[in-house]
Amino acid sequence: MGGTRAFLRDIAKKYFAVGIVGVTVSDRYASVVSVRGSSMSPTFNPGTNANDYVLVEKFCLQNYRLSHGDVVIFCSPINHKENHIKRIVALPGDWMGNDALDDLLYVPEGHCWVEGDNSASSLDSRSFGPIPMGLISGRVTHIIWPPHRIGRVGRPDNHRELRLP
Amino acid sequence: MTFLRSVAKEALDHMVSVTKYLCCLHIANTYACTLTLVSGPSMLPTLNLTGDLLLVERVSHKMGKVRPGDVVLVKSPVEPRKNLAKRVIALEGDKVTSFVDPLTSDQSKIIVVPRGHVWIQGDNLYASRDSRHYGPVPYGLIQGKVFCRLWPLDSFGSLDK
Repeated sequence: MGGTRAFLRDIAKKYFAVGIVGVTVSDRYASVVSVRGSSMSPTFNPGTNANDYVLVEKFCLQNYRLSHGDVVIFCSPINHKENHIKRIVALPGDWMGNDALDDLLYVPEGHCWVEGDNSASSLDSRSFGPIPMGLISGRVTHIIWPPHRIGRVGRPDNHRELRLP
Repeated sequence: MTFLRSVAKEALDHMVSVTKYLCCLHIANTYACTLTLVSGPSMLPTLNLTGDLLLVERVSHKMGKVRPGDVVLVKSPVEPRKNLAKRVIALEGDKVTSFVDPLTSDQSKIIVVPRGHVWIQGDNLYASRDSRHYGPVPYGLIQGKVFCRLWPLDSFGSLDK
């Protein structure tokens, strides 16, 4: 009887240790996230069946060294309880070409412009404006599920940002 | 051979304990409360110019319990690597009367704080860059609520409103 209790306590301690190490690694270094919705189709969730799982790295948050075309996860500026995944289209200091209004938009310091790859059904900076980079919580590097789509997450084909000399 | 092996095992055990301790520290720091040193003139007279050690709790802002009048730690919308201590003046939906520039003119405008945002200001209006300059900031930038001051000791305790 005493032996089983000690054994169970041992297992519980190991689970606890794995748990706290897992939470720490997931917060500071890299984690796995499931993608919901079709705003990043066809990069993520091209069909309607299962959700993609992606690898998110947090090393980029040390210095916020992000580039155009990076897919990032950020806290929604409209609802702090939600997180979104979108692609960075413009960085601080860029001028964005706005085809609809035929003028230019300046991305202020510390902010970036994010858009979903599926423009038709994406709630992004075109609705809520540029977002402060402090809302970003990680950068997506790879798709890790489903198996036939495992691979690096790359750039889209069209670059729509316009930079003045 | 066995002496080296036992030394290696003991070193590994120590490393495992240190790792577990650091992970517990990370979890307490991120989910419970954290210490932070703030300095600068923007929150005078509430916070000192040369530095205050503050205890910041990380629970109530996640539950949406931030209220006007709270001093919060917020990531700067202009420099994401910096954290600022500012006071929350208004929540989403509230109206704020903001002076365009308190030093030069009396012009003011009324701004409605958009959904998911808060209006933050430093207590020292003349030496603070805050929502009057860069607009309302998203709630998601709030890192925690300042709970009490630990240093300097002569002003130990909760901050005055």
